[in-house]
Amino acid sequence: MPTALSLAPAELQLAELTEANRPAQLPLLTRIAELLSASAAVTHLLVRGSLASGTADRLSDVDFVVGVHDRDLPAFTAALDDLMTVAGGALLPGWRDTIVADLGGIGFVFLVQHEGKLQQVDLYLAPASQITTVRRKVSGKVLLDRPPTEITTTQIEQAETHVAKLAARPKSCTELLIEHLVLAVLLHKRIQRGQKFVAYAEWHMLHTATKDLIKTALALASRFWGWYQLREELALTPIGRTCLADLDAAITSPAVPTAADVNAALDRVLALTERACPNALDGLADAITAYRTYLELA
Amino acid sequence: MEDAQPTAALSGQIVQLEKLDGQLIERMRHEALTAPAPWKAEYGEFQSGGWWTTSLMNASGEAGDVRIGDCTARPTALLGHMPATAGLLAELGLNYMWVRLARLEANAFLWEHRDYDELDQVERHRLHIPLHTNSSAFLVTGGTKVHMGGGRIWRLTPTYAHGVCNLLGPDRIHLIADVYADDAYTRLANRAKEPTADRLPAASEADLAERLAAARRLADLGYTGAAEQMLLRLFYSFDLPEGTAYDLIASLHTALGDSEASTRWTAAKAKLLALAS
Repeated sequence: MPTALSLAPAELQLAELTEANRPAQLPLLTRIAELLSASAAVTHLLVRGSLASGTADRLSDVDFVVGVHDRDLPAFTAALDDLMTVAGGALLPGWRDTIVADLGGIGFVFLVQHEGKLQQVDLYLAPASQITTVRRKVSGKVLLDRPPTEITTTQIEQAETHVAKLAARPKSCTELLIEHLVLAVLLHKRIQRGQKFVAYAEWHMLHTATKDLIKTALALASRFWGWYQLREELALTPIGRTCLADLDAAITSPAVPTAADVNAALDRVLALTERACPNALDGLADAITAYRTYLELA
Repeated sequence: MEDAQPTAALSGQIVQLEKLDGQLIERMRHEALTAPAPWKAEYGEFQSGGWWTTSLMNASGEAGDVRIGDCTARPTALLGHMPATAGLLAELGLNYMWVRLARLEANAFLWEHRDYDELDQVERHRLHIPLHTNSSAFLVTGGTKVHMGGGRIWRLTPTYAHGVCNLLGPDRIHLIADVYADDAYTRLANRAKEPTADRLPAASEADLAERLAAARRLADLGYTGAAEQMLLRLFYSFDLPEGTAYDLIASLHTALGDSEASTRWTAAKAKLLALAS
């Protein structure tokens, strides 16, 4: 069926207008796609989310499914932080995404500076052997479809084991701090868009990450699950009591935060990290300064 | 990293000169961020990409003419849009060879190099006035790291190998004035003061082996450019003997069986560090 654009009279000069209305994230999307596809290990690139459906706004993230040959998945995962830092412009190591649906792979979220703005880039690494299934479940646009060389059963099993191990590995204090920084970006976006329900869910995730950070720093050998027995395990020392007070402040804040609430939570978590696990900040001072500058400019 | 302190390794390579009025710097910063500057990428062999310059005073009076050389500099039209900046340049009364604005984007680098190789007949000096900067933007020379903070004039004597980076951004913008030595310059230079600097840690064999293995992992996946950049970045993390990053890249390519690339990087090292051939 002809589109409205194709019916426009030839004398209408629409190209410039069309160009002006391209999503601002398109250059970043192109840059990351070119970067990733330079490796023969990458068999597929799918764009999903609002940039695939044409509903992107200036806050939209860049969301890829990256098909990686099963044989190369462990090496690719190990190299991903270096690749995204050196060539992708990531401020921080990737956050292992615990929001994304399980499609047999593993997701990472990177905060990337691009043209003076902080952008969110989601990379879901899927073993090439799973791509047919992933494509059935994910509505997206295919940017790259490169048939992989033969994938053996052993390689498939190795990739599955690799994904399972990564998913099961407990997060370090540094990873939990990065989780807070990523969630704060997501929350600012929800607040600006007025997405109260999603903001509520992500605010709860942020509090849970704070609880996990405290437990990882001060009660690593805890035998109790989740939120149980926190006071019994942590309130034994002044530092534990101060951290519990921080957690109390977090969970008694409004159910749906304002931007000021999110910023206060970040301040609280950075102070908590400095107090309970200062090594988690090693090498991140400049990144956190830059992160806050970009948030102020947003 | 050791505490910030003046270090002997700097030995006059970078010094602080005149302190400038804070409000003037704010006006100059505003001008630099808003003037209609034709930013040009030049000196591509020295940089990662992301290094842009535009001229305020040069031989031709064209702001887009940015490849520097000996001349009697005259103002470009761009400087006409920047009255506070023009006022300061006039007030300093220096004999300008070339005056540029230099913008270094986030995640951009000027690789380890030596300047003025082709311009060694006349005494000249390079002055920097940081207008817009951040804590992840710094210069490395002699194994020390110096963040050139705003609010004053700095002098860089780029005869030693040095490099500049802006790891995380936002953009870093400096006014760079290459000036000939004269009485006005001497008066300014008499107020030179050593800046504080951070000594970079020495790299252990294990550090270098780990970084080389990470670079090899990237290269094996087909990300050769990223592998090279990762090794070039070591200059900004560790106190390394001169040219080590280039040697590591050449070694990487040798290990990958690409002798042509290895030779190319060895030649790049000789050119960028102005080594005798």
